[in-house]
Amino acid sequence: MSALLSVRGLTKRFGGLTAVDGLDFDLAQGEILGLIGPNGAGKTTTFNLIAGAMPPTSGTIALEGEEIQGSKPHAVAARGILRTFQHNMPFAGMSLLENVLVGAHTNFAAFGSGLGGLVLGTAKARATEMASRLQALDLIEFVGLKDLLGTPVTALSFGQGRLLEIARALCGGPKIMLFDEPAAGLTPAEAHRLSDMIRQISNGEVPVPGFDRGIAVLLIEHDMRFLLPLAQRVVVLNFGRKIADGAPDRIRDDPAVIEAYLGDPAATRGAA
Amino acid sequence: MPGPAMPRALSYLVAIALLAALPFFLASYQADVYRKMLLWVTLALGYSFLFGIAGQVAFSHFAFYGIGAYGVVILWYKLGIPLPFAIVGAIAICAALSFVVAVAGTRLEGFYLALATLAFAQLLIVVLTEGGEFTGAAAGIQRYALPPVMGFRVAGPYYTIVIVLLLVGTYAILARLERSWFGRACRAVRDNSEAAAAMGVDVARIKVTAFTLTSTLAGAAGVVYAFVDNGVAPTSFDIDKVFTLLFMIIIGGSGRLAGAVVGAVLLYLVPFVLEPYIGHHHPLVYGLIMLGAILFQREGLIGVFDGARARLRRSFSGAQAARQSA
Repeated sequence: MSALLSVRGLTKRFGGLTAVDGLDFDLAQGEILGLIGPNGAGKTTTFNLIAGAMPPTSGTIALEGEEIQGSKPHAVAARGILRTFQHNMPFAGMSLLENVLVGAHTNFAAFGSGLGGLVLGTAKARATEMASRLQALDLIEFVGLKDLLGTPVTALSFGQGRLLEIARALCGGPKIMLFDEPAAGLTPAEAHRLSDMIRQISNGEVPVPGFDRGIAVLLIEHDMRFLLPLAQRVVVLNFGRKIADGAPDRIRDDPAVIEAYLGDPAATRGAA
Repeated sequence: MPGPAMPRALSYLVAIALLAALPFFLASYQADVYRKMLLWVTLALGYSFLFGIAGQVAFSHFAFYGIGAYGVVILWYKLGIPLPFAIVGAIAICAALSFVVAVAGTRLEGFYLALATLAFAQLLIVVLTEGGEFTGAAAGIQRYALPPVMGFRVAGPYYTIVIVLLLVGTYAILARLERSWFGRACRAVRDNSEAAAAMGVDVARIKVTAFTLTSTLAGAAGVVYAFVDNGVAPTSFDIDKVFTLLFMIIIGGSGRLAGAVVGAVLLYLVPFVLEPYIGHHHPLVYGLIMLGAILFQREGLIGVFDGARARLRRSFSGAQAARQSA
């Protein structure tokens, strides 16, 4: 399986501190890769580098063989890497449907001609709008928010807000989805449903036209009980360096990992 | 949901017909008040998009109105360029200038954008007042007249048709954009620019486009204004005008085009209605209405309407449910 995303020698320094240090890993289509590590290990920085929130000091990030490191967030999203935020970031002044439709932004026609088409109300502009709305409604149904379509997004619970973020990112038709601690703040039942949902997303089981191709998933997660059964592979970071890369079972038994991160054996037992 | 195309085009035609027919039944002073009201509504629509939907706190909207008005008069009356080219030229100047201001200004957020655009508006007044022969200085440029179009003198109620076309055209463009991906991107940037960027929205580009577009529409309105009184003067574009515009959209309902219409009509007419009772103290009334809107009705008058409609719908569906269960 050739890699969809290839990270090579990725390094980020903040002054004297090296937050990410020569990181290498691959992500394949339809794979669920977990990125773990103790606090300060460089997980969030890695995430931000991939999402374009900051440029790396050195190293490359290649999507389908094309280097994208240093691209701006909107350009990364336009290439098919979409994310959810750890702290929900809905567009508070917009309806649920409109929120999700913002995810489809990059699906609309090239900017200049698109705007002209809008003003003139061309058939193409209308057809794109219609298709996007139908897809957004399907995705809202998939994440289970259909009954809340008329509810202001500010009235959604934390868990519902998380589902909104997922529908919004899916609406962009991503090749890769980045989840930043998706289970944080969720009830056990919500986390369980989320876990199933992420599996469906990666397996191409989202019951919406155009989603039969599996989406690669990269997730940062602190909650081992959530991550280990879900991820097919785990990359462990410590002090910005990769200390392990492999199946969850092997990671759990890796002495370096146990020492660095799973120091508390109770955490591993809970996951088993 | 966008409705079928035909009824919407039809409703625009009906609106044009009604708005254009009205001045034929008004006395000339009333018709003049009406014309200027329509121009305020047009300006409020664009400003509502810029301030309420794109979330840019900019105070240059009235300045571009002035640039459009002065632009066409200078190009045509002072420089002798044929009117159609002068019109296009004046609008193009507004587009180019607003693009430059946008590229520089949208790097600034909130307070600083407000200051920069306020400075720009003030600078324009200085340029107009100190422009000597070219801008007519403090007296402005007066006593020109629109040349006959194919032998027909477009004036009075006939010129109102031009204003109505401008107003309805502005509304049609903005309404279409507002409902589209562009309007959504504008509101997404307004609500959370980081999340918008993560969804693929080029934040800087959206900001510049929204600013340039609405400022150019203000410029087009200025071109039309130039032939309402057949005179332009710096005082018409004073800095306080943009605050009246701000009051209009906040009282009507910020970010809602219908709200801009309601707010502009109401605030424009307030001085005329109240003049017999309070003379020229209407700013006091503006202030009170504004205070009331901010304290008690953040969604503006259109929010009151929305609330009433929602309650009506709820009680209707409640009655239906009761009937079904009975």
